[in-house]
Amino acid sequence: MTTTRRTVLAATSGLLAMPNVVRAQGETFRIGALNPVTGAGSPYGSGMQRMIGAAVEAINAAGGVNGRRIEVFSEDTQTNPQAAVLAAKKLIEVNRVRAILGTWSSGVSLAVIPLVNEAEIILMNTSGAPALSVPPANAKGLSYRFQATNDRFGRAFAEIAVREGFRRPATMAFNNASGLGNTEGFRRAWAAKGNQNGEHVVYEPNQPSYRAELLRVLATRPDVIVMGSFLPDTTIILREWFQTGTPMKWIIPGWAANPQLVQALGPAVTQGIIAVESVSNEGAPAFAEFDAAHRRAMGNQPGTANAYAAMTWDMAHTLALAIEQAKSFETAAINAAIRQVANPPGEAVATFAAGKAAIAAGRKINFEGASSVLDFDQHGDVTPDFGVFFIEQGQINRRYVVKI
Amino acid sequence: MFGALLVAGIVHGLIIGLAAMAVTLVFGIARFPNAAAGDTMTAGAYAGFLAHRATGSLALAGGAAVVAAGAVSLLGYLLVFRPLARRPVASLLVAAIGVAFLIRAVLGLMFGHQQQVFQVPLAWPIEVMGLRIPPMDITLAAVAGVSLAAAFGVLYLTSIGRQMRAVADDPDLARVSGIRPVRVMVALWLLAGAAAGIAGLMLGVKTVVSPEMGWEGLLSAFAAAILGGIGSPVGAVLAGLLLGVAQEVSTPYVGFTYKIALAFAVMLAVLLLRPRGLLGRVEEVR
Repeated sequence: MTTTRRTVLAATSGLLAMPNVVRAQGETFRIGALNPVTGAGSPYGSGMQRMIGAAVEAINAAGGVNGRRIEVFSEDTQTNPQAAVLAAKKLIEVNRVRAILGTWSSGVSLAVIPLVNEAEIILMNTSGAPALSVPPANAKGLSYRFQATNDRFGRAFAEIAVREGFRRPATMAFNNASGLGNTEGFRRAWAAKGNQNGEHVVYEPNQPSYRAELLRVLATRPDVIVMGSFLPDTTIILREWFQTGTPMKWIIPGWAANPQLVQALGPAVTQGIIAVESVSNEGAPAFAEFDAAHRRAMGNQPGTANAYAAMTWDMAHTLALAIEQAKSFETAAINAAIRQVANPPGEAVATFAAGKAAIAAGRKINFEGASSVLDFDQHGDVTPDFGVFFIEQGQINRRYVVKI
Repeated sequence: MFGALLVAGIVHGLIIGLAAMAVTLVFGIARFPNAAAGDTMTAGAYAGFLAHRATGSLALAGGAAVVAAGAVSLLGYLLVFRPLARRPVASLLVAAIGVAFLIRAVLGLMFGHQQQVFQVPLAWPIEVMGLRIPPMDITLAAVAGVSLAAAFGVLYLTSIGRQMRAVADDPDLARVSGIRPVRVMVALWLLAGAAAGIAGLMLGVKTVVSPEMGWEGLLSAFAAAILGGIGSPVGAVLAGLLLGVAQEVSTPYVGFTYKIALAFAVMLAVLLLRPRGLLGRVEEVR
């Protein structure tokens, strides 16, 4: 018999018509790695993506989930909500992924979450906006946040302000969910400690000057300005502030007060800035595993260099353990199992293999992650620890860790 | 505080004014809204940034910005707008948006999307009659002043400037008077590009350089061009100053989140009371 296009077509359609069970033999559990490889998140994005790959490799080496291998499809958000939506659509509709891991920046996560809800799949993000916790964004409870909320960042800022002995803090916020979340969290926590809040200014992006905003704040003579900001606006505001010659301290989130800021402004302007970033669960056995994988994949860079990569490493582990626990590939079952495997009580486990063995033995597990102890509250949020960094002579040095 | 905001507003206004001049010149002579003016600014800012990083001289950076933005502007004319001349305004507007995208994409590919910063010395303000003024603002105002003087010198003191104004006035009459339109157009696009380049350089020095910076500033340039009276370079600069000062001085009272809205409220008010803009003329429609 000669093979014609017609017979090939007939054979393939016959294959497609076979029941699911037959095709399931080589079937994989598909997930999407949707990370900021380019754009503002680019210092973190490729590390985040590679750590998803490394975690999945370890999971597959331990026998996969429920007998299936996990297969990763990678996409770049460009740290841009529009590009992220296109990429998420492709992952969902073309690759048929069952979970999306590792969106960074609130704008991106808020843009992707409606697609995820529509497709009834799980989203694991590293964004801070409080809106991601609650309906309508998280109405179905399918979204899990591995980073601290902006509100928790604000609470950490307040702890630091007390510890550093500040008396008269003012706040400045970039006018979006993340910026406002930081400063509102701070003001609430600061007032809850019985203190008086200072001046609060909300500013617009892309302005040629922030002098009016700054002068309004400086007129109230604060001893520290707490920021909910991003890199470009922070660069402009600090430069204008320095040129006013007013001595003062700053508390700034770590994604704005980073090495690029120091490079842009130099050691004189940035001297004494307090940068706050969530830090990984560095003493934990899971962190040691992650650190080794990070060094292998990222040219011997230590895992402490990228807190977001620790989060994506944990995402793959949490998801895989939940699938084992659920003994199902259905979203609802997996979703119900996530808190079972991540939250206490239970046997603390640090690797997928250990967790899988414990689940098989019928024990309740508690995955303690590399990024944090990873206990999800009712909103799917975690509470990591915060590193407090001081910029001194152009170096960003960690002084201490704050727990909230 | 009022004085300090006035100074900030003037510098802000000079940037808007220069960009608006680039828009209004093209509108007056080539007769379409040039949406690529913002990205021409960005090209100027990047050229200035590279020159400044290589030499440390702000004057050379200004020269590089003028040359690069002028070249980008002229290329846009020769490759896109000239072949499309005499097409409807809408076609030219869409083409200009396309040129804008192209410039932005090329800059993004060449330099990446992360911010670049002019390493200018930061100094404490100097006191002038009780006003605390950052030295960089004085430098930038001087740069803008010199550039504006040069632009108006070309427009009002040279033969090609007179020809440009003649074409702006009445293209057909200019042609029958023996003015060669291509020469005028080349001069126009070079001048508009140079003005945009200086605006981009100033914006870049004051803020950060990124591929999106010019596009994001385009709206206020258009507002100032309309407010000043379409086709009037003096009006564009005055309107830019008015918008810049109005934004800086008033927002502490009305709220900083209304900064952008305020510029348009001013524009609306002026257009309702004086539809031809500050210095525009009423044109007969035939």
